[in-house]
Amino acid sequence: MGQLSLKQITKTFGTFEVVKDVSLDVHEGEFMVFVGPSGCGKSTLLRMIAGLEHTTDGDIVIDGKRVNDLAPVDRGIAMVFQSYALYPHMSVFENIAFPLRVEGAPAAEIKSKVEAAAQILHLENRLDQRPGNLSGGQRQRVAIGRAIVREPEIFLFDEPLSNLDAALRADMRIELTRLHKQLGATMIYVTHDQIEAMTMANRIVVLNAGDIAQVGAPLELYHKPQNTFVAGFIGNPRMNFLPVTCTEVTGTGVTVDFNGQRLHVEVEAPASLRSHLPGAPLTLGVRPEHITLGGGNASMTVTPSVMEYLGQNTIGYAPLPGGEETFCFVLPGTQKVPADTPIDVTFSTADCHLFDSDGRALPRRANTEDLGAPALQIERTTG
Amino acid sequence: MMNPSRRATRVLTLVNPFSKRAQPSAMMDRYSWYEIVLIYLGIFVFLFFMLAPFLEGFLVSLKPLSQLFSTPYSFWPENGSFEAYVTMWERIPYFAIYIFNSLLIATVATLIVLALVVPAAYAFARFSFRGMPLLLGAFLAVSMFSGAVLLIPLFRLMRTLGILNTYWAMIIPGAAFLIPSAIWLLRTYMMRIPPELNEAAYMDGASQFYTFRRVILPLARPGIIVVAIMTFIGAYAQQFIFALTFNSKTEFMPLPVGLFAFFGRQEVIWNELMAASFVGIAPALVIIFFLQRYLVGGLTAGAIK
Ligand SMILES: Nc1ncnc2c1ncn2[C@@H]1O[C@H](COP(=O)(O)OP(=O)(O)OP(=O)(O)O)[C@@H](O)[C@H]1O
Ligand SMILES: [Mg+2]
Repeated sequence: MGQLSLKQITKTFGTFEVVKDVSLDVHEGEFMVFVGPSGCGKSTLLRMIAGLEHTTDGDIVIDGKRVNDLAPVDRGIAMVFQSYALYPHMSVFENIAFPLRVEGAPAAEIKSKVEAAAQILHLENRLDQRPGNLSGGQRQRVAIGRAIVREPEIFLFDEPLSNLDAALRADMRIELTRLHKQLGATMIYVTHDQIEAMTMANRIVVLNAGDIAQVGAPLELYHKPQNTFVAGFIGNPRMNFLPVTCTEVTGTGVTVDFNGQRLHVEVEAPASLRSHLPGAPLTLGVRPEHITLGGGNASMTVTPSVMEYLGQNTIGYAPLPGGEETFCFVLPGTQKVPADTPIDVTFSTADCHLFDSDGRALPRRANTEDLGAPALQIERTTG
Repeated sequence: MMNPSRRATRVLTLVNPFSKRAQPSAMMDRYSWYEIVLIYLGIFVFLFFMLAPFLEGFLVSLKPLSQLFSTPYSFWPENGSFEAYVTMWERIPYFAIYIFNSLLIATVATLIVLALVVPAAYAFARFSFRGMPLLLGAFLAVSMFSGAVLLIPLFRLMRTLGILNTYWAMIIPGAAFLIPSAIWLLRTYMMRIPPELNEAAYMDGASQFYTFRRVILPLARPGIIVVAIMTFIGAYAQQFIFALTFNSKTEFMPLPVGLFAFFGRQEVIWNELMAASFVGIAPALVIIFFLQRYLVGGLTAGAIK
């Protein structure tokens, strides 16, 4: 139980189409994350699933049943709001007990369920306090507690951690992942924090202005983005996009001309495009973390204007000729690179992505598993 | 020459006595001596203007009647006594009934207003429906009239309804003219309650009415008390004109009309009039102080973010 399907969901406010024809299947027990830039319709989509907002068109189906006209409780859904929405005049106990009181559950049952929820969320010692006396993280846990006592099949979270500071957010991220394992319920989680999306999700839905740009596992989105939007959105710092011209399509990939270098990128060219490709302008995508100082089979000269030394790595930003685009590279560890001095950076074509003029990716040939394998050398102690 | 330790104590006394900060000696709360003097002077002048009539009234109530018309007029009573507070009861045997009537009229009017205004203000704060701005505008317009302007039509209305010379003739118009401003006041207060609370309660399966009773009402309590106090004072002050116009039965008269009895044919019994005024206001003051104890701020702390 807890299987959710969206069938061609559309939502318009006045004449403004906020969610456009979204279809999506969320599996039972899945942790699904919606990401996208601000205003792309994430909250609106979530509120429609919750039953707080009507759909303009399309069906919401839970466990095979159309629920468009059902109230949230009857959908078996609980929601945790970004702003917590706690009842400030009630104790933590009463806040968590609220859904059970609404149901008219017997007092003994309420007590045991609230205490069980408090235990899961480490709130046992706070049950008598008012929300106003709690820290942000504790308030958020109370809000989650109120959701879990009802034992819903589907949890909705709308940016639940965005009001917390970075350290607390990291803690809560781990706790939520643990909670998901413990409860086994379906969870739909809205965020615009990439790290949350990448670390917590089974699958990520990237939304772009009301459209689904791509659905997939985190590493799949990272390694095989289907378009420039996803390529630019997933990964931090952003992927570099460089203009290239296609010269040849072969059986193993596409060869492009990049500043006079001929680069062979292993992608599949769709049959329909194959004949148009030679001579056509393409976009070469390479992630900042795949740039090295020597070693790859492609190179370019950049003049970094700003260098950032983070200890763990070194980030450089260089203006690209003839554009507002900035070229970014990330080098491991602390490497002294003088600013305002031209340097040669290199990268490997195996790490490159190719996009056509409409921004659609030419599918990479490599397996996601191979790409995901960490290139770590582990020293083994023998004996 | 000032020695350093005296200097330190002087700085300490200059912290802002009105600061709400946890640490009242914070830099921005420090005032120089002349600012403090000016602030207290301002407070004194303001309070003097407000309270001087009360002081004068109280002193008058202590003086024997003859002294009131002596020249030169003496502000302080010579051989003052509380005699007027005793004799007034004899001069006006109905006095206790007048006080009771006043309280009854104001209390019932307040209850009626609250019963109508609390749900109405909630509806105006939370729902949007067709004609809402028009209705709110109409309420504002109505509250600009005082009942006095509409006395004649009201009289005819009361007569048609057959409630002239009853308590209702004083309660109903009193309540009616207090409702519009009460709705505006409480609506503004309720709009500050985060709407997420409604959504959260709805998600948890609570009905509109359950949410209203268990979430909105407790949170709106300070606002409701303010409205209750305002309405009570308003109803207390208003009843004079309605009583004079719509009621001719002595036993239903409220206090302000009753005080007229001290205006004799020849002279006004000022000392007893003042004594009666203070005695008459006392119960209302007690009620307002009682209500005020429930005015607690910061109820919504911790609701969101
Ligand atoms: N009730 C409404 N009436 C009109 N427009 C609305 C309404 N609610 C949302 N919108 C519009 O719909 C768009 C999407 O809003 P939504 O809140 O879903 O964005 P979001 O993806 O959640 O953004 P954020 O990351 O900032 O929370 C916005 O442009 C917003 O202005
Ligand atoms: Mg949002």
